Amino acid sequence: MEEGSSSASPPPSDSIPTTSGTVAEFLTDLPSRGLFSSTAVSSSNPGGIRIYVCDHETAPPENQVIKTDQMNILIRSLTLKKQQGEATDNSRKRAADRAADGRASAKRASTSSQNSARQGGSSSRAADKKFQGLTVERLRALLKEKGLSPKGKKDELIERLRNSSK
Amino acid sequence: MSIWNYVVTAHKPTNVTHSCVGNFTSPQELNLIVAKCTRIEIHMLTPQGLQPMLDVPIYGRIATLELFRPHGETQDFLFIATERYKFCVLQWDPETSELVTRAMGDVSDRIGRPTDNGQIGIIDPDCRLIGLHLYDGLFKVIPFDNKGQLKEAFNIRLEELQVLDIKFLYGCSRPTIVVLYQDNKDARHVKTYEVSLKDKDFVEGPWSQNNLDNGADLLIPVPPPFCGVIIVGEETIVYCSATAFKAIPIRPSITRAYGRVDADGSRYLLGDHAGLLHLLVITHEKEKVTGLKIELLGETSIASTISYLDNAFVFIGSSYGDSQLIKLNLQPDVKGSYVEVLERYVNLGPIVDFCVVDLERQGQGQVVTCSGAYKDGSLRIVRNGIGINEQASVELQGIKGMWSLRSSTDDVYDTFLVVSFISETRILAMNLEDELEETEIEGFDSQVQTLFCHDALYNQLVQVTSSSVRLVSSTSRELRNEWKAPTGYSVNVATANASQVLLATGGGHLVYLEIGDGILTEVKHAQLEYEISCLDINPIGPNPNFSQLAAVGMWTDISVRIFSLPDLNLIIKENLGGEIIPRSVLLCSFEGISYLLCALGDGHLLNFILNMSTGELTDRKKVSLGTQPITLRTFSSKNATHVFAASDRPTVIYSSNKKLLYSNVNLKEVSHMCPFNSAAFPDSLAIAKEGELTIGTIDDIQKLHIRSIPLGEHARRICHQEQTRTFAICSLKYNQASAEESEMHFVRLLDDQTFEIISTYALDTYECGCSILSCSFSDDINVYYCVGTAYVLPEENEPTKGRILVFVVEDGKLQLIAEKETKGAVYSLNAFNGKLLAAINQKIQLYKWMLRDDGTHELQSECGHHGHILALYVQTRGDFIVVGDLMKSISLLIYKHEEGAIEERARDYNANWMSAVEILDDDVYLGAENNFNLFTVRKNSEGATDEERARLEVVGEYHLGEFINRFRHGSLVMRLPDSDIGQIPTVIFGTVNGVIGVIASLPNDQYIFLEKLQSNMRKVIKGVGGLNHEHWRSFHNEKKTADARNFLDGDLIESFLDLSRGRMEEISKTMGTSIEELSKRVEELTRLH
Repeated sequence: MEEGSSSASPPPSDSIPTTSGTVAEFLTDLPSRGLFSSTAVSSSNPGGIRIYVCDHETAPPENQVIKTDQMNILIRSLTLKKQQGEATDNSRKRAADRAADGRASAKRASTSSQNSARQGGSSSRAADKKFQGLTVERLRALLKEKGLSPKGKKDELIERLRNSSK
Repeated sequence: MSIWNYVVTAHKPTNVTHSCVGNFTSPQELNLIVAKCTRIEIHMLTPQGLQPMLDVPIYGRIATLELFRPHGETQDFLFIATERYKFCVLQWDPETSELVTRAMGDVSDRIGRPTDNGQIGIIDPDCRLIGLHLYDGLFKVIPFDNKGQLKEAFNIRLEELQVLDIKFLYGCSRPTIVVLYQDNKDARHVKTYEVSLKDKDFVEGPWSQNNLDNGADLLIPVPPPFCGVIIVGEETIVYCSATAFKAIPIRPSITRAYGRVDADGSRYLLGDHAGLLHLLVITHEKEKVTGLKIELLGETSIASTISYLDNAFVFIGSSYGDSQLIKLNLQPDVKGSYVEVLERYVNLGPIVDFCVVDLERQGQGQVVTCSGAYKDGSLRIVRNGIGINEQASVELQGIKGMWSLRSSTDDVYDTFLVVSFISETRILAMNLEDELEETEIEGFDSQVQTLFCHDALYNQLVQVTSSSVRLVSSTSRELRNEWKAPTGYSVNVATANASQVLLATGGGHLVYLEIGDGILTEVKHAQLEYEISCLDINPIGPNPNFSQLAAVGMWTDISVRIFSLPDLNLIIKENLGGEIIPRSVLLCSFEGISYLLCALGDGHLLNFILNMSTGELTDRKKVSLGTQPITLRTFSSKNATHVFAASDRPTVIYSSNKKLLYSNVNLKEVSHMCPFNSAAFPDSLAIAKEGELTIGTIDDIQKLHIRSIPLGEHARRICHQEQTRTFAICSLKYNQASAEESEMHFVRLLDDQTFEIISTYALDTYECGCSILSCSFSDDINVYYCVGTAYVLPEENEPTKGRILVFVVEDGKLQLIAEKETKGAVYSLNAFNGKLLAAINQKIQLYKWMLRDDGTHELQSECGHHGHILALYVQTRGDFIVVGDLMKSISLLIYKHEEGAIEERARDYNANWMSAVEILDDDVYLGAENNFNLFTVRKNSEGATDEERARLEVVGEYHLGEFINRFRHGSLVMRLPDSDIGQIPTVIFGTVNGVIGVIASLPNDQYIFLEKLQSNMRKVIKGVGGLNHEHWRSFHNEKKTADARNFLDGDLIESFLDLSRGRMEEISKTMGTSIEELSKRVEELTRLH
């Protein structure tokens, strides 16, 4: 590189002032893989380019037609969380009481995830779900049958019924 | 015109939107892949430069294009996503040279608001996933499995709603994106997120950076060893990573594109909105970034994409000007620029306006476009067909034949031009003053018509007349030998080459002579059963002086026969069918393939592929070139051989990619042509036409010819005035020199031959030209230019003031003779019943041209019509006015003379946002809208109720995939009244991507035939990447998607001619039409553009 001659030339008028020598410095060792090396680099007329006629099958391999997971993002994240929660839950429970919990967790997997966030951790979700579906009137009748107090809010009634059914 | 329309591209898109470099076609080959909206071009990088490989049509508008290398692959794959939410992954199969679809899919979501800032598609540098940002607030992930296969995609909620750019970071153990976004206070920040594929969610990333440059718009991920990201703003450039933050100030500019130079990411090329190219350097000590440096390198076209190729060569793709191949020089040139532009690739886009004119007054339309934007604005003159640049011409009536001869065998130039008439032969030659002068060749018989002439070996010339063959020395010009026709017989047709003569006398006698040094030998004689109509022995074999085959056309049985030479054995006889005799046969060779061309007396041309060793004729094809007998002759231009077919519609036949192409010559009627390569007129042709002999050079052999007139400013409207032979344009110039960016608007007058600006009228500050028209008024013989303007004030949403300026051209100057203030922008001007019809904001207004007492004129408002949102596009026909509204589709108004009022007659009740309208015929109107669709509506005059009559019925719908700015009636090709194609009315359109297209209205039977052909073509030609043609052409906007109807895709139909013979047969079978007939009909359509 001819440092002297390049720095003698005037710097480009409207660039941030530097000497042109630094530009030349920066422009040295531009990557080359041996292409465009001929002294007379010429590119042929782009009008002469061959037009691709695609007369072969273009369908992708069978499993490579990509679709988007249509599940709502919120539901997906809840489901994922639940599955993870279950995974940790299960392993913890398994260590404690494998036989007793087997039935419950199998059922739990089939329940809807709607109430799971609020009641996560409760052990008898199936029964819970059943009581939740009943009216307060019906719950009170059940409590009366068992000789328990029919007073309080719905949640309290369910709690009382659940305790009694254990 | 009609409702059955055929849409075809005359000039393909040239706006380069994306480009990338990688090993696509083979692990060893480096490719440049360029996206031009609906097409991709694959080039190969070679030591000699860019070598074009393939032009691939894509059934979609390309939104993102990326090359990537999945694990375990040796070559790159191409990822393409389209604006209509399809994507595909393509791989090149080097063995079959085909594009293989590795994966494809639909990435649309049912809900979601499409992003304002364009679709983003990025691929993780470690190839773990593809990320897409298509809808606000959603980031779509398509994960790869460990075998490089794609898995089901999923969306992740992205909190940032106003995303400006997203990129993947390099060197992260988990895929990490960096998001540049704007908050609701318009401040800009970057944030990083890790993509957790297991949780299908984002995890907060390693770093973020708040309060960046207010103009920050572009992220450049930096590869290892530095990693991190460069954030390019309008006033600063920042390097940001988890450990470092470096910033430098820059001269205010908007960076439009970047290209990475080094694999380690230490140097980048940045292209800004003014077309300045900068080099950005990351300075570093070992692997620690110490700062940034930026240097101006020079000026290029305004870049939309930059790809560093190799060895200091860079591809600059542009949307606003020509794309370029540049070289970065170590030493600056005299202007201090390090950039050397080596090649320019023509780009017509964006075509903002255009007009169709016939400058040469030959019946040949030319399109003059307002192309390009900002500093790269230009006018482009686009002309179809091959022009002859006349250099000399003499009046000569009744030419029957022409041949050029040399004065010696070794001479490179032709000296003599032999011109034959009905009863004499004249010889012209170049004299010392380089003038064409009549001379004599003593040995020639000049008292009779010459049938054929040729140079022969041993410095000899051959002349064939009806009675004899004369062999003459070219040096002494004396007769050396003569072969006389047997008494009672005269020579009817003859041909010769350097060593052979073949002639036919009456009674079907075929005589073959060979030329020796001073001697003519009759070698063979054959008697055929019928008269001979034409002959050819053009040598196309290995010996350039000797032909082993002779082609003979016959009367009576209408056949063409191939004989072997010198023994005159019949090899093959091909019956032509029909009743028209062959008038000219020619043996020729293009790109290593031998052909037999056979021209008939009715302007049809048959071509066959000729097997040189067996003489077999295959692949018969028929095209219609004109209506008169054709004479075929070969000539050379730029080292390639072409065939000139002289007839009422002269045509050049040439070959490209081993396919025969036919290009019109822009001359009316040519009876004879011969190449005449003289010292004074090198590479010229002598052409006999309409009583004159012309010598001229021929244009490059290609279909469209484009001439550029750079303006250095942005032309927005153009119109031509025949009477003054001028163009007037509305243009604007951006003034970037001053600190405050300003723009100035002008009306400029240009000469229509030289395209020099001969007069300029500067508009007021804030005033811009919106429409221009050349017209005359009733009771006034003058022709005027009318210009509609608008005052675009920064504080106004819609202009509330404008002007109509009326100019007259006097002594080549624009003279303002009247002006009228309007209450809004004058979006459109039309001549209407000797009055001026203007579209002003929401109103259509009619002005009269009134003579005042002092003899001056003024525009006086007559009547108007309200009821549009913005009446942007107006066309008129008779008393009818068709209005294209900003957002209320098309409406039809009528002017009532008696009442002097404009009333609405009917409208289309769809909510189309229009970009152009045109009237096809009294009842059918054509519209283009901003979702890249075309549609036609029809007036329903026979409707039973008022309500039905007030509704414009949508009769045609089609997705063009191009944003049309203007329709104009006209044609790119010369119209001949007696050809079928000449009867088909056409409309030309121009688009943002630089496409010039033609819409042709077809008769119903032809439409039905072609529709059937199109549906068969769909089965044979598949969309690249598995994209579907039917889906691509379906009318599509936010509200609905409907199958295309009453529009045909001419590009697909015309690709029939590119199919292999086998595929053609397949289609021919299902269509029940012969290949010959199909090719002929499709070939005819190609002559529409």
